Amino acid sequence: MDEVGMDLTGRLMADMDPRLLEFLKTKVDSFVKWDLIRFFHENPYTTDTAANIARYAGRSPEKIRDDLSDLAESGVLEKSQLRDMTVYSLTADPEIRQLLERFVEASADRQFRVKAIYHIIRGTTR
Amino acid sequence: MKRLKTGIPGLDEMLQGGLVPETAILVEGAPGTGKTTLGMQYIYHGIVAHDEPGLILTFEEFPEQYYRDAQSFGWDFRQLERENQLRVVMSSPEVTKASLEEVGGRIEQHIREINAKRILVDSLSHFERIAERPAALRQTAYGFINSLKREGLTAILTRESTALLGDPEGSDGDFGFLADGYLMLRYVEFDSAVHKALLVLKMRGSDHDKGIRQFEITSRGIEVHAPFEGREGILSGSPTRMVDSFVEAFVHR
Repeated sequence: MDEVGMDLTGRLMADMDPRLLEFLKTKVDSFVKWDLIRFFHENPYTTDTAANIARYAGRSPEKIRDDLSDLAESGVLEKSQLRDMTVYSLTADPEIRQLLERFVEASADRQFRVKAIYHIIRGTTR
Repeated sequence: MKRLKTGIPGLDEMLQGGLVPETAILVEGAPGTGKTTLGMQYIYHGIVAHDEPGLILTFEEFPEQYYRDAQSFGWDFRQLERENQLRVVMSSPEVTKASLEEVGGRIEQHIREINAKRILVDSLSHFERIAERPAALRQTAYGFINSLKREGLTAILTRESTALLGDPEGSDGDFGFLADGYLMLRYVEFDSAVHKALLVLKMRGSDHDKGIRQFEITSRGIEVHAPFEGREGILSGSPTRMVDSFVEAFVHR
């Protein structure tokens, strides 16, 4: 990314709520993660395996497995072992749940969405 | 005896006041007959009228679908979840079964956290996918129903029947056997219209109305009306007027 690009990003993100910007930077660096975050926000008491979550989200298990793991590592999801199954569910942490709610609500705004999409594309093309 | 009222006009009278505590009631019917609505109404009424929090376990239907459907009856499930009175939990049957068998598993946590008294399991049909043989299915269902009772829950379990009208093919007697109560919802055709019928087939430890009653899904939920009168063969899906049967039997001979 050249300096002009960096400046544009900086300018684009300047008026974004710093907590949401931080959430975006540290937790949402792919469109699959964005999808998964929205899915768990809309269905907050879902607990299931990667294969079943992939089916619910209309993705292939291979495509979401790493993203689920990353979201668990960053504290958005909880990963646990149930016999021979690895299952994922939304964190019970009220602070993260609240942040997630704000992120999903903000995503309804076109301007926020454009900025967030730009941030993800920029991240994936680095 | 204490009863858990369903809040469904007409049904509680049929059940002599409501469901017997810590029992599991099977509600079977074709798609669209109102099984889920009946279960949601039972859960909602428990929360708002009796301070009995509820849990909904779903295996395929997304929780957001329940929030939407409930909203169409004026029941704000999202708000009840925020108030810790309700949880709509989605997991596959495998995960649900393993979780219930685990001491302190996630479902047990949900039950304890909201002090749930009522549960809707929607639907048991999905358990058929994880059991290879009928005997294994019976064992799985038996263990599952017992684990709900162990937690002190009074359950409504739905099950889909495939036939839209008449005798449901593939209706499995096993679930009916294992459950304490058995409610059948049926489509019935007469006078060039499809109506809905409800029958309480079994209610262990309690008397119940044996009539086949007509019911409607209104903007307030399910309402059960008076028994069908002057018709027979209702469960066949195409009842005849009794007077026609009489003429057929005696006059046309």
